[in-house]
Amino acid sequence: MSEQQHTSSPSGRHRLEGPKNHYITYIASILLTMLAFAAVMYLGLDKMFLVIFLVGMAIVQAVLQLAVWMHMKERDHVYPIIGIAFGAFVAIGGFMAAIFWMWW
Amino acid sequence: MAHSHAVKRYSGLMDWLTTVDHKKIGILYFLAGGIFFLIGGLEALLIRIQLMFPDNQIFIGGTYNQILTMHGTTMIFLAAMPLLFGFMNAIVPLQIGARDVAFPFLNSLGFWLFVFGGLLLNLSWFLGGAPDAGWTAYAPLSSDTSLRGVDFYAMGLQIAGLGTLIGGINFLVTIINMRAPGMTFMRMPMFTWTSFVTSVLILFAFPAVTVGLVELTFDRLFDGNFFNVSKGGNEVLWEHIFWIFGHPEVYILILPAFGIISEVVSTFSRKRLFGYSSMVFATLLIGFLSFMVWVHHMFTTGLGPVANGIFAVATMAIAVPTGIKIFNWLFTMWGGQIIFNSSNLWAIAFIPTFVMGGMTGVMLAVPPADFQYHDSYFVVAHFHYVIVGGLIFGIFSGFYYWWPKMFGRMLHEGLGQLNFWTFMIGFHLTFFPQHFLGLMGMPRRVFTYETGVQLEMGNMASSIGAFLMGIGTIAFVLNIIITALKPKNAPADPWDGRSLEWSIPSPAPEYNFKQTPLVRGLDAFWKEKRAGNKEMTPAEPIGSIHMPSPTILPFFMSVGLFIAGFGFMYAKYDFENGLLATLFGNHIIAIIGLVITFLCMFLRSVYDDHGWHIEPEELEDKGVKA
Repeated sequence: MSEQQHTSSPSGRHRLEGPKNHYITYIASILLTMLAFAAVMYLGLDKMFLVIFLVGMAIVQAVLQLAVWMHMKERDHVYPIIGIAFGAFVAIGGFMAAIFWMWW
Repeated sequence: MAHSHAVKRYSGLMDWLTTVDHKKIGILYFLAGGIFFLIGGLEALLIRIQLMFPDNQIFIGGTYNQILTMHGTTMIFLAAMPLLFGFMNAIVPLQIGARDVAFPFLNSLGFWLFVFGGLLLNLSWFLGGAPDAGWTAYAPLSSDTSLRGVDFYAMGLQIAGLGTLIGGINFLVTIINMRAPGMTFMRMPMFTWTSFVTSVLILFAFPAVTVGLVELTFDRLFDGNFFNVSKGGNEVLWEHIFWIFGHPEVYILILPAFGIISEVVSTFSRKRLFGYSSMVFATLLIGFLSFMVWVHHMFTTGLGPVANGIFAVATMAIAVPTGIKIFNWLFTMWGGQIIFNSSNLWAIAFIPTFVMGGMTGVMLAVPPADFQYHDSYFVVAHFHYVIVGGLIFGIFSGFYYWWPKMFGRMLHEGLGQLNFWTFMIGFHLTFFPQHFLGLMGMPRRVFTYETGVQLEMGNMASSIGAFLMGIGTIAFVLNIIITALKPKNAPADPWDGRSLEWSIPSPAPEYNFKQTPLVRGLDAFWKEKRAGNKEMTPAEPIGSIHMPSPTILPFFMSVGLFIAGFGFMYAKYDFENGLLATLFGNHIIAIIGLVITFLCMFLRSVYDDHGWHIEPEELEDKGVKA
């Protein structure tokens, strides 16, 4: 109990959802990863299609991770959202520029 | 409500090894950072001794490269950063009216990681030679494995960098979550604001250097090819990664100094800071722009005129918010009752010195001109003007200002003046001639020069100045020793201060605030004093205060990584001794080190430590008065 006093969480704004969504995304992530492996190993798809398919799967995974595990879908998480957006800006901007100059 | 856990209180050395109190960790940062500052300063003197006369034969070739690399690396990572973390630890929680940082355990972990990273780096002197590829460690210079010094650079900075990252996250959470009631973002003191923006920069810049160092480690220790052109790697990759980190890093260093100067100038002009909101805006803008100017370190790499042009304009744009700050400090002093004590002298000297460094910065931002200045002593003069003339002046100013709050004793004013004048004159004597040495063609990082090319006088003046700076530093060390021998009798508010840290006793008690204060405006304590109140209005009744328990785990976690670092580095060595060859060759030492660290993490996770409480009766016994 005493821990609670000092962390002073803004109670009331958070709806208690429990870990249900986390279980679902965790299982979904594992299934999607297995699907990706299967697509490469067994399905014998066209190479170009495979690349697009895998990148698409990666985007789905990233969205799931961000939304559920990184709390991006919760509306009152202003600081984490600003933080992740700025981090994405720095990482994508910086590394795209560097890659463009070095390997294009 | 209150738990009555019996808490183990340590004393003596164990107290310092196990402490999670932000004020004590701040002092530890000052101690370790100060020692590394003296080591780095000694290396600077050795450099200046070698360059005192033309064709000198004292430290030549590889030895000079090692001294030069270790001077830069030590000063940036092991002296400047920890001294700033010392101030952030000692002052930020007091300024926002908090009883501690958000994560006291992580605070201690960050400190010990830095200590052991720095120790590992400096042990290289005794273990076959220090890193010799410059503090920027450009590949392929740094991926050459004929000498093992750079292994220590990669491992030591990786461990120390983890500590810095942890510290940055800790201060972000502390400043967002632990401000006293009424302290909105726009009521935070300027030093807290700059610490906040610095923490943001640490959070986003340090991952870049972490990745770069991992790649360098893999190239050197595990046959990786990130920077090996013959196997498809790319050397320019290191330059990009290093400067994506490196440019924000220099703002990580200078922003807290800006904050210290803002506090000192405002207090000793007895006026509120001119243009507070524009100061905040300028700080944020500098932090934001710092991520899009890294290519100005690489104008001569050959990225093309468009890239150089864009980054030149972005770099020049930073002069605008910096200029806002300079004018705000000047207008703060305008018409104020200025007190010229040693703290304020450092702050006042900071302003023109930093303007000079900033001006050469804008000169360097012009790509065609930069092709002339690049890798010459002009660049050395520029970054010493901003780092020593900016950051170190700010740190000295902060020491004279907050020493009573941190240690309960006032630093001696006479020795302070001696420290200021010798160091300040020595500084300009050292680095001002270096502008001209650079323009006359003296390259940086080269250990000698010929007679009869007119470089003698400038170098001689520069070396004399360096010794004068050494005398100034000795005066400061003497001042600390003499002050430490005097009784702890500093008043709570010796400067007629403005922010919350001056509303509590000197030195601050373990729990900082008996009752969390209610903040009613910018310069909270000043506002109360003007309203005729002797102390802050409390925001809560007197109650038991929850405190974190001391713990030795962070120390051993860091020891584990320290051992693992040696294990990985020495895995490639050839040993005469069969036992050592087996232990290191099979990574057994590295595994032992990692097991120690993970065991400590496991213990931390399994044992729930609820901390302990200071009861109201104890508060009364300690006779707390504001």
